[in-house]
Amino acid sequence: METDFPLYLIPLLPLAGAAINLLVGKRISRGGVAAIACTSVAMAAVLGWKAAWLLFQSEPSAILTARFFDGDWIHATESHGIGSLHIQAGLLLDRLSAVMVLVITTVGFLIHLYSTAYMEEDKNFNRYFGYLNLFTGAMLILVLGDSLPVTFVGWEGVGLCSYLLIGFWFDKEANAYAGRKAFIVNRVGDFGFLLGMFLIFSATSTLSYRDLASQQSVVALHHVWFAKASIATVAGLLLFVGATGKSAQLPLYVWLPDAMAGPTPVSALIHAATMVTAGVYMIARLHFLFEIDPFVLAVIASVGALTALFAATIGITQKPIKKILAYSTVSQLGFMFIGVGTKAYDAGVFHLVTHAFFKAGLFLGAGSIMHALSGEEDVTKMGGLRAKMPITRWTFLVYCLAIAGIFPFAGFFSKDAILAGAWSFDVAEMPEWPHWLGHAIYFVGLSAAFMTAFYMFRAYFLVFHGEFRGDHHTWDHAHESPPAMTLPLVVLAIGSAALGFLGMPEAFHKDWNLFEQWLVPANFAPMVGEEHASTEWALMAVATVVAGAGIFLAYRLYYRGISPTAVAIKDALPRLYKVVFNKYWVDEIYDSSVVRPLRSLAFVLWKGVDALFIDLILVRGSAFVVDLVGRGVRYLQSGDVQRYMAAVLLGTAAIIAVSANWVACTGAPFDVEQHGADVTVRAHGMPSGPAARPLEFSFDFGDGTPPVKQSTPTVRHHYDVHGRRRLTVNVLDPRWDIRSSDSRTVVIP
Amino acid sequence: MPAAAEGHLGQTIVFWVCTAVVLGGALLTITRRNTVVAAMSLVATFFGLAAMFTLLSAQFLAAIQVLVYAGAIMTLFVFVVMVLNRDEREPWALRGIVGKALGIGALGYLTLLGGTFLLGASALLTKQGAYHTEAPKPGWGGVADVGNALFTTYLFPFEAISLLLLVAVIGAVVVARTVKHAPPASQEPPTPPAHGEH
Amino acid sequence: MIPVDHYLLVAGLLFAIGVVGVLLRRNALIVLMSIELMLNAANLTLLAFGRARGDSNFQALAFLVVAVAAAEAAVGLAIVVGIFRNRHTTNLDELTLMKH
Repeated sequence: METDFPLYLIPLLPLAGAAINLLVGKRISRGGVAAIACTSVAMAAVLGWKAAWLLFQSEPSAILTARFFDGDWIHATESHGIGSLHIQAGLLLDRLSAVMVLVITTVGFLIHLYSTAYMEEDKNFNRYFGYLNLFTGAMLILVLGDSLPVTFVGWEGVGLCSYLLIGFWFDKEANAYAGRKAFIVNRVGDFGFLLGMFLIFSATSTLSYRDLASQQSVVALHHVWFAKASIATVAGLLLFVGATGKSAQLPLYVWLPDAMAGPTPVSALIHAATMVTAGVYMIARLHFLFEIDPFVLAVIASVGALTALFAATIGITQKPIKKILAYSTVSQLGFMFIGVGTKAYDAGVFHLVTHAFFKAGLFLGAGSIMHALSGEEDVTKMGGLRAKMPITRWTFLVYCLAIAGIFPFAGFFSKDAILAGAWSFDVAEMPEWPHWLGHAIYFVGLSAAFMTAFYMFRAYFLVFHGEFRGDHHTWDHAHESPPAMTLPLVVLAIGSAALGFLGMPEAFHKDWNLFEQWLVPANFAPMVGEEHASTEWALMAVATVVAGAGIFLAYRLYYRGISPTAVAIKDALPRLYKVVFNKYWVDEIYDSSVVRPLRSLAFVLWKGVDALFIDLILVRGSAFVVDLVGRGVRYLQSGDVQRYMAAVLLGTAAIIAVSANWVACTGAPFDVEQHGADVTVRAHGMPSGPAARPLEFSFDFGDGTPPVKQSTPTVRHHYDVHGRRRLTVNVLDPRWDIRSSDSRTVVIP
Repeated sequence: MPAAAEGHLGQTIVFWVCTAVVLGGALLTITRRNTVVAAMSLVATFFGLAAMFTLLSAQFLAAIQVLVYAGAIMTLFVFVVMVLNRDEREPWALRGIVGKALGIGALGYLTLLGGTFLLGASALLTKQGAYHTEAPKPGWGGVADVGNALFTTYLFPFEAISLLLLVAVIGAVVVARTVKHAPPASQEPPTPPAHGEH
Repeated sequence: MIPVDHYLLVAGLLFAIGVVGVLLRRNALIVLMSIELMLNAANLTLLAFGRARGDSNFQALAFLVVAVAAAEAAVGLAIVVGIFRNRHTTNLDELTLMKH
């Protein structure tokens, strides 16, 4: 579908807002800054909905395209056997990116709105909204990019904004450190992304999604690279490394919990709803690549399952509410990777959407709670807030039910779809993997779902039920948040409650899964291995029971504050609790295995290479040598006229000694060899060696023949006359115009 | 020409005597510690040179040599010597002797090279008949002859030289005069300056 | 007629003696005298060549050289006197103001 829809405006509008707020925001009132930020995102949202509506009216394979500018963005000619590179700054909107655009702009707008109240007191109001707008623009470029490099621009852009916003309150060392940590850990992933991109290009000579999806490219990617691995396998794994960095999967998840150092709406937008899902989006976008070798898909699904379980266990023990939510995010992202890894792409993306709503809501709710409690984060010091904050409490409950997967909230449908996909995951093509891999992933996911329900309701009960466990000043000041904060909470709660109906399982009715119908025909091949309706019903029942069990356990242990039973369980397993509470010491392991060696290396490079070699030897050494030479040469300047004159003499002698060789010899001596009337004249006495130079010789034989002029000193001549003849040799040094000559008489018989 | 042959011998004797006087005087000039002796040796050199000039038929220049050098310039020297009146304890400036030795070595090289070149050149010129070996016509090198050249061909350099002399006179007066506002030299006993580096 | 080379050799030696004097003597007056020696050597060369070539223009040139030498001696001696007034020495070893 070719229309002139201004697709490029969708990312450009937030970027323009960012430019205004960052460059001149200090001169604009707070209201103006907020208006610019929210309006630009709102306009992008409106355009996004309009574009989605256009797609909705067309056939499933319809797309919208646009370009930032005509001509190539990156252009490189062919070299080293790799094809020429033409990359255009192009945008592509299909049904998959449309989903992402709607989530980003809609949730993004709500969070912008929420931030206007949440950040009201902050003195860097304009900087905050500038970054937030910049992030929105970069994220939109990421999802709209029509080629890997364009996506990578957004990918790096959101990473930059993430860094800037995590360290937004950089005057606290810990926040700045968290920002750096996020940035550096993401670099590791980005490195994999880049390598994967290069490999793909080396095989296919293109990086555009539409060209890559062609049969020709897929064949090229299948090309055996080394050993038994195809390029698709290696590139897929490398791209997945990029995804684990951005989407906080094992083993690169460590930055996300620390990223909670940023303002809470940032955590909601970047570190829950949008940026961290970029990896899921990328895999869904490049699913054809990952499908080439199912081994890669199995790796993705396994990593996702392990991450889901791993993070969920940590989430159980955490006390700061944002940390609980952070580990929950890591865990839920694991679910999404289970989805895309088991070819249930629509399920993965659907969970991405629902998760964007309920997790953003949870974070905003947490922000609302912390706002009310003057920044208190520890759930064990809260309690009984249901009386003070009814809107926050009810919306929070909705989100918790959604994430726990209780019918009919959104999480129920999306999580169920993922688990169903895992259950039916077909590993027949993968002899390396056991045939029960799909079921194993299902059970791991189920355990994670149980824990999710448990720790979310643990948090819910600890915050809103029981008695308040903090000091009474805080309690007295606790209040419901202003409408700008509660309105997004309500909207997100509605979304969390209702969105699930877009993706109702086939078991209800075969035409009711609108989300699958929207995505699958256009973007993904129809799923293989559909389960029977009875299996689906059973899976749903199991999931609901497990979630209910988790909630019930949380109710028993935490409904009236921390129950003695909970303490007893903790005390009964002191070692296990300690390990989990300390997050398995992953940070410490990384610190000692990676960070410290690198710091040591950096220290050595600093002291040894930079300070010693470059600074001392090269920089100061050269200065020292110059100084030394100067000190030595200074003695030549004695001020003693006589010594100066001696130097003049020396110089004169040197010049003359050199040029003496250059002065044409005085006279032009020559030899004559005579055989009858034939003479051979050989001029000699000419300096040879370095002083040899092109002399011009002129031989006059004195017999009336014209003089012979040449540049070599030897000449032969035959006399046709008899008697005494005067033979003259003239030599000219053309450089100095010095002429000399000599002559003698020859007797011709 | 038998007369020339006799003249030749006489000339040769005169030439070698003059050479001895000139070079000997010059050597004494640069080796004597006493400045007055050096100046007198220089006068001897100038006289020897004047004699040589006459050998070269440059009677006018010989006269000028005696008048200007031995008369005017040497008077100036002796006058200054008397004003300063300082004999040296160490006549030789041995500081930086290595560099100077190199310089003198270079000088030796140059002398050798120049001598060789001059000999070669004059031999060539003699061979080519460029030299007048016969006695010049009477009056050659006399006042009239040189004056003719000076006031015709070299009129401009002659006038320039007169200007130069004027400038030199004024300059000498300016450089050597006593500065008015400076304190009188008698109130400031001339202390021997410290030797060595400043 | 003495060959012209003889005069030239005498002139060369005279010049060399002059240079040695300029290089090695400490007394500024002697150095000035040595310069006069060198100028005279030049004059002798001019006159020898002039005689050899039968050209009286050389004598005019020699005359100019004498005039220049006179000017040089006047100014040089004035400088020596001026320096002596200021620094109470004519010792070249101590006249190293150019160094500072």
